[in-house]
Parts: sequence; C-alpha cells; structure tokens
Amino acid sequence: MIGFALTEEQLAVQKKAREFAELYMKPYAHDLDRMPAGHFDRKIIDRFATHGYTSFFIPKEYGGQGLDCLSSAILWEELAVACDGISRVIAGSMAAAKCLIVGGTSEQKRRYLTLLAGGKKRVGAMAITEHGAGSDVAAVSTLARKVKDGYSLFGTKYYITNAGVADLYMVLATTDPAKQYAGLDFFIVPGDAKGLSIGKIEDKMGMRAAQNGEVILDNVSVPDENLLGKVGTGFLVAMQALDLSRPMMAVDAIGIARAAYETALEHTRKRIQFGKPLFSKQAVSFALADMATAIDAARLLTWRTCVLIDRGHEFTKEASMAKLFASEMAVEVCSKAMHLMGAAGYSSDLPVEKYFRDAKVLTILEGGNEIQRQIIAQGL
Amino acid sequence: MIFREIGLRIQQAREESCLTQEELAERLGCTQPTLSNYELGKRRLYLNLLNEIARVLNKPLDYFMHTSEQDQGDGIEKLLLDPQLKEMLISAASLPAKERNLVQDFINWRKNQK
Repeated sequence: MIGFALTEEQLAVQKKAREFAELYMKPYAHDLDRMPAGHFDRKIIDRFATHGYTSFFIPKEYGGQGLDCLSSAILWEELAVACDGISRVIAGSMAAAKCLIVGGTSEQKRRYLTLLAGGKKRVGAMAITEHGAGSDVAAVSTLARKVKDGYSLFGTKYYITNAGVADLYMVLATTDPAKQYAGLDFFIVPGDAKGLSIGKIEDKMGMRAAQNGEVILDNVSVPDENLLGKVGTGFLVAMQALDLSRPMMAVDAIGIARAAYETALEHTRKRIQFGKPLFSKQAVSFALADMATAIDAARLLTWRTCVLIDRGHEFTKEASMAKLFASEMAVEVCSKAMHLMGAAGYSSDLPVEKYFRDAKVLTILEGGNEIQRQIIAQGL
Repeated sequence: MIFREIGLRIQQAREESCLTQEELAERLGCTQPTLSNYELGKRRLYLNLLNEIARVLNKPLDYFMHTSEQDQGDGIEKLLLDPQLKEMLISAASLPAKERNLVQDFINWRKNQK
C-alpha cells in the first residue's frame, strides 16, 4: 500500500523544523553567506544544539532523537529551504555519525555518538577525500602505521566539511596500501589530537556558512580501540554511510529548489509588467509549473528511498536515482528562477543567486553524478 | 568493480560449501535473485550482511575483501577450482617426499624448455 499523507508526528516534526529554520537560520543566511572563508561562526552549532538539531539522526539509546529516515528527510527539507549552507554543518556531523552507526562497536557508539548527541554543542566530520582520492575512494593513501597499542596516522584530507570545527573526525586511512580497498579503515580522531592541524580553508562558490578545508595528519597517534569496528571494513562502511547520506543530499537539493521556486513565484505574482503580473504570462507560469512538478518528482523519488531504508529493504540504486535527479533538478530550477526574476534574480539583494550557488555543489558532492549514474547502471 | 570482486568471492565460498544460491539465500533470509545480484555485483553489499555471509559460509570477513591482484600472489584456493590442478595436487600429496622432488624437477625442466 502506498500512502502519501504524513502522520501527525511527521507533521509536528515538519512544523517545528520550519519554525526553527525561520527563527534561527533564515535571519543569518545572507550574512553568513558573505563571510570571508575561514570565519566560521560557532553560534551556528550553538543554535542547532540548543534546539536539538545536532542529534535527530542519532539513535535514542545514544542520546539522540532517533528519527527514522523519512522523518529526518521531512525535517531536513525545512532547514534546507532556509539555508543549506548552514545545514551543511550538521550534514558533516551526520556523515560522521553514520560511519559510527554502520561500523562502530557498541562501546564506540556509546562513547562517540553520545558525544555528538544532546545539547553538547559538538559536531563531527567525515574525512575521506584526498588530493588523489575523490570519487575513487579505494585510492585513499593516508597511512595508518601500526605501532605498539595503536596506529600513527599520516596524510592530508581535502575539502573536509567541518575542518577545524569538528570535535571528532572519522578519518579513512590505509593500514596496508598493497591491500587496496581491503586495507582501508576508519579511525576515530579527536579534534584536538596532537599532530592534527588544519591547512587551507576553501573559499567556495556556495555553501559558504559551512567550513571546508584541509585536515593534515602528521603522526597522529590513536589507540587500537579508535579503529572503527573490525579491521579491513573501512571501504564497506564508507560506501554504506555515503549511500545512507544520499537521500538527505537529495533533500538538500529539494529544499534549495523549493526556496528558489517560492521566491520566483512570489516575485512573478507581484511584479507588474505590461499592466499585468508577470505570472499571467503563459511563458512564466508554465516555467513555474515545470519547476513545481520537478520538485515534487524529486521529493517522491527521495521519500521512496527513505521508506525503503526505514523498512530495511535494498535502496542503493534508488538512493542514487534520488540524489542524481534532485541535484540536477535543483540547478535547473534555480537557474530558471533566476531567469524569471531577471535582474532581481541575479542581484544579491534577493537570495536566488545564493540558492543557485548552493545548489551546484550537490551535483559534485559525496559521489559526483557520474558515480550515481554508474551505481544505477550497475543495478540495471 | 569492487562489489563484483566481493560477489565472486561469495560465489566461490558458496560453491566450496556445496550450497546453491537458493540454499544460501534461505539461510541469509533473502531471496535467490537478491543473492544473485550480490554475487554479480549488481547490488552493493553492506557490512551486516557480509558478516552474516562470512558466518554462514564459515570464512573470515577478510576472505571476501581480497583483491584479484593479491590472488596472483597467494590465490591457491582459486587455483584449486581447476579440477586438473586439484587432481595433480592430491596425487602429488600421495607420493613419498623423494618422488615429489622428482615431479618438481620435471615441472622445472618443462618450464625451462619454454
């Protein structure tokens, strides 16, 4: 049976998230987007933590709210509408938590998920990408050298969301490069670990409220118990955590597209040209009709993936379809919104140009869309 | 590619255990087409299920995580899938050590002829 009506609980989650986003995200979106790179505002984390938005994805037994995937998607869309750049801070933390949930031992979950949960104002980061290892995760070359009672980490991670902000990093490293993907493991590295430093902070086109940068590991010592789960499982954990992140990334795209569409709709209804609102022109209203249809289609693909995850079914292909379709849709919708609004869309006085800049990275991030197509094709 | 390699390993381990896809799928609580998709690398296999497969097929987890390049070094189990090579090994094992040396000498001599 397929149902599309949200439950009372889901509606309550949506309403609360919308109110939070209106009060604690939207008013700061413009200024945070204009901040120079390297000026991360920690108040973002304070606001999220105070209102319980740093832990909705963490199971209840570890101090989180334990929302299922569909409820999380409903919540996340409201945050993404307000400012996806700000949301990205929590997305980075969510990625780290997913690694712990998928691959961690009970003790690791108890220790580190509880650290991220609650009102502790702490966030995590997942550190996979390197200069030579982007889409090709198996090419990770950060070395975890076995020493007595632990490991020493050496390497540089690039473009890491929450670099210099995170309280803990989930670092993917190889214990034996000859083993390729089978030699990969995640290591739990505290943000203040000796030997961990932050290199270049990226000056990005969009998602500017969040901080991305280099994480340099120079002889960072971690004990044996900081190797996530069992030895040799890093690749599988990374793949599963990324797959689980995909529907949320699709929601990022839906939220941004919705924000652009709603702004364009309001603008074209108000703006009078040739004696009538712009919206009365078929060329304009049809474009908005296409935008609304595309957003709904992306949401349906995404919610289907969430339901599959929540019911414990296979979801890999469907997650990639959602991320692929939604991210390309968002770029297209933002571009159309900007066009419909003319100079107002192109100017930074209104946020549509920001939405456009924020949307673009979603076709690149956490598995570029060519990778999504590859995953879908493999499943055909 | 990687999931295809893991899938091949599952197929190999399943065949060693003399289980059909239906039989292994039943023990894992999934359908035969699902297992087939994992063996073909069409679906991504996640850690929990691979742990379960390792348990059912009585193999360590890292058995499924070896790359084909590594097989070139110590892929004895793969070599044994060849019935002729397997027969030769069994026959050689039944010979006294001295005669095994003679067989080895013969193999070395043949290799040097090439």
